[in-house]
Amino acid sequence: MFSERECERYKRQILLFGDEGQERLKNAHIFIAGAGGLGSPVSLYLAVAGVGTITIVDMDRVDQTNLNRQILHFDRDIGRKKTASAKEKLQAINPDIMIYAIDVKIDEMNAADLIGEADGIVDAMDNYPARYLLNEVAIAKEIPLFHGGIRGFYGQATTIIPGTTPCLKCIFPKPPPKEVFPVIGVTPGIIGVVQANEVIKFLLGRGELLAGRLLIWDGMQAHAEEICVERNPACDACGGMVENTTARKKK
Amino acid sequence: MRWNGGEYNGEEEEMTVKIRFFARFRELLGTDIMTDVAAGTMCTSLVATLAKKNPEGYAAIFDENGAFRDFVILMKNGKRIDIADAAKTLVTDGDEIAVFPPVAGG
Repeated sequence: MFSERECERYKRQILLFGDEGQERLKNAHIFIAGAGGLGSPVSLYLAVAGVGTITIVDMDRVDQTNLNRQILHFDRDIGRKKTASAKEKLQAINPDIMIYAIDVKIDEMNAADLIGEADGIVDAMDNYPARYLLNEVAIAKEIPLFHGGIRGFYGQATTIIPGTTPCLKCIFPKPPPKEVFPVIGVTPGIIGVVQANEVIKFLLGRGELLAGRLLIWDGMQAHAEEICVERNPACDACGGMVENTTARKKK
Repeated sequence: MRWNGGEYNGEEEEMTVKIRFFARFRELLGTDIMTDVAAGTMCTSLVATLAKKNPEGYAAIFDENGAFRDFVILMKNGKRIDIADAAKTLVTDGDEIAVFPPVAGG
């Protein structure tokens, strides 16, 4: 059931997918790993869409160099924990949802517990070791991993449905070298919104996910294309998983 | 037909292939490069020849031994090629080869 305020807030999207769709969003719990460049647009758009429970995890403090892209954080937040800043903004933009902001480094000891009973994991990390960890938990819990990555004007996104699509390790078996990556805020803006769009479609059980498809965005050319990606039967993360014949795990 | 070290020694038969670089590779080397290659050209040598036009581009894709860096993703006509197999993967007329690095930022 929705309050009068919620009915008004979501009026224009209930036109799209009805009360039943909105109920699905409200009953969902999404885990967002990272409150940075990707985590900002992902969390903001999932919050305003009415995803009922959002857990967002980050270990950093807001730095001035973050502010060209991490739109959850304001100049006045410099030096604050990103989780505190994120919770304040997300709760302010939608007081009708639950926000859990956890200030911790995601590691192999705590990842599965942090993700808990979430319906899906959003990869808003900035490094592959952490992404591989999220990938492992997604496989173990058989929940989707919504991957995004960016550099400069370039970005990539795909949706991983364990047992159905290739996992992150099938697609990217080896990480690229570490670097201080150049970035302009619009790129994580675009890719983060693609990820949020994927989450919403998954929760609604509607549309076609970026499943088995890697979307590649070139902002300089304003050109998006996709390539088909396949499972690697010898993958050390998901190779043992039996093919899941149901197209999508519906809520 | 006679082979010698992976290079074709018979009559020259010109073929045209297209190379697509992505992300940083694209910044360094351009993209959608149409090039004529001789019959018998392997995927690795094709990419290496083009990449050598910019030493920084070459170094981004290949290691000091001339092997693909382990994170590089290669596709031929939309199908993944294992980089370990690229040196013995023939390119043929009309092929489209895509070379890209995963991007890591977030």
